[in-house]
Amino acid sequence: MDKIPKMKTSIGICGIFLVCLIAAATGVPPGWAQDPDVAIESVYKAPVLVQAEMCESIERFNPVNSAVVFSMSLGRVYCFTSFDPVFEETVMFHRWFRKDHLISNARLVLNPPKWASFSSMQLRPADKGPWRVEIVDSRDNLIKTLRFSISD
Amino acid sequence: MMAQFFSIGWQNILDIALNTYILFRLYVLFRGTNVLRVLLAMGALLVFRQVAFAMGLVITSWVMQGVIAVAALVIIVVFRNEISLVLKTRDLKSFFWGIPRQQLKTPVGIIVESVYELARKKIGALIVLPLSKGMESVVQEGIPWQGKLSKEMLVSIFWPDNPVHDGAAVIQGNRITDVGVILPLSKRTDLPSRFGTRHRAAVGLAEQTDALIIVVSEERGTITLVRNRQMYDINDSRVLEKLLIQHAGGDTSTGDIKKRTRDLAIAATVCLVCVTGLWISFSRGVETLATHDVPIEFVKSDQNMEVFSSSASSVRLLVSGSRPLIRSLGPDRINVKLDLANTTAGQTSLSVGRNAVSLPPGISVKSIEPSMIDVFVDVPLKKEIPVQAFWVGRLSTDLIMTQVAITPRRIIVVGPSQVLEDIDTLFTQPISLDGIAESGKITAGIAFTPSTIRPEDQKKSEVQLEYTVRKRNTPDS
Repeated sequence: MDKIPKMKTSIGICGIFLVCLIAAATGVPPGWAQDPDVAIESVYKAPVLVQAEMCESIERFNPVNSAVVFSMSLGRVYCFTSFDPVFEETVMFHRWFRKDHLISNARLVLNPPKWASFSSMQLRPADKGPWRVEIVDSRDNLIKTLRFSISD
Repeated sequence: MMAQFFSIGWQNILDIALNTYILFRLYVLFRGTNVLRVLLAMGALLVFRQVAFAMGLVITSWVMQGVIAVAALVIIVVFRNEISLVLKTRDLKSFFWGIPRQQLKTPVGIIVESVYELARKKIGALIVLPLSKGMESVVQEGIPWQGKLSKEMLVSIFWPDNPVHDGAAVIQGNRITDVGVILPLSKRTDLPSRFGTRHRAAVGLAEQTDALIIVVSEERGTITLVRNRQMYDINDSRVLEKLLIQHAGGDTSTGDIKKRTRDLAIAATVCLVCVTGLWISFSRGVETLATHDVPIEFVKSDQNMEVFSSSASSVRLLVSGSRPLIRSLGPDRINVKLDLANTTAGQTSLSVGRNAVSLPPGISVKSIEPSMIDVFVDVPLKKEIPVQAFWVGRLSTDLIMTQVAITPRRIIVVGPSQVLEDIDTLFTQPISLDGIAESGKITAGIAFTPSTIRPEDQKKSEVQLEYTVRKRNTPDS
């Protein structure tokens, strides 16, 4: 009976020694192994863009009349994006540029498992010319650029 | 003034040097002749005209100008023989370079031997050796001979039965050019009584020219040498030979060489002074104004920096100076340099001061327009930029343009770093949608704006667009 505590003590010492040995072998110091930032970085999975189009309208969450030239007479132009899969709730940005000048930055929330979303721009006579929409993720990574023109 | 003189350009130094040499050559070729004296008189008239002009004596200067013009013609007409003699008797080398002597090729020995032969036989003779002055205006032309000089020939010319023995024989170089030449008689009263007509003729010619004349007395068989109003009785053939060599320019005694060198050095200095004075008088003459558009040259201390734009590529200079200098002022002699040493990257205003303008001496800047230049200086960078179509006009309402493929999709452009930072897209020149009825291809130029950017490869300033259109779905369909 008296030996049991001694064994526990020796097992405990051996356990500590083993942990230290494994830590030394893997290069991870015991007690620092769970760095929170590194852990988040490693698990982040960007949503996958499967469709991105400029269109004249949206009907039943589908783009209608995808094009690269839009008439001013339409009054509004849409940027449709669809992601599959979406691994976790995240945000996506639609940045609208007219001739390299940022006009609008639309923030869109994406939810798992897949999500489609769109932004739109009201057209004014002064908006004629070349445009582009940059689709950017929450970490400011440019995913795609859509280029189009607004004509008479 | 001194600073201006020392900042003299190489063109002006060359100008002065060339003209000094030309003047010096004229002196060398025409020294001792009447032409040189008249040329000197013309030079004096020219100076007088300049002074009169500077003093505002308009009519005097105008008259002087006319006189100089007429005198130039008179020189050519009156002294044509002397000029012709000088030009004919020189080869190209001695004309441009050498210091010629008139009688250098004269066979002195033959003359000495002939003269002593004539004296021994008491045959009267009159031999003329011209130097630089022409004799045509003072002698009556004899008979052209053009025979090669020899003792026998010379003795036979003066042989008493020869029809031409009374006149003078003219020797030039190694040829007897004329015989039976009638010389002008001297009117001097102080000549020795023993001197006959031959001696008087010899003195008469020596009074008017620089020729050397040898007289052999028919009565006494004596030899007399006449030159420059000096008469030498020759008793020794070596003396005659020495005098003839001296006359031929072949005397190589140290004193004579030194004297000749000194004379030429003085002449060269005088020529240099005259031409420099002339140049200064031209450069500081009556002021004339002129305008010149001069391109601006930017001087970079940092070779990586580049001027991408400038509010003006040239400046208009109002310059003043004497009329000849202003007339001779070519674009290659005016420089406007702006130093970019203290400029930083970006837009900068630079002052175009008078110190930025480089002009030949004697010309000054009155005004500079514009006086300030805005430049955009930066380090050039390369950037690959996507190209986008710039559609204008109206696409038919029943059509939809679904796709545009641009080739090449991206273009490498070079431009200032600050400008390229803000450019993410290159746009084509406006392309009209009017008239598009079906899919097709079109070539469009790229609008490189701002002007500070340019394609790395100048050939890649156009793109090809392949567009796809389809019919619009109508609500009924």
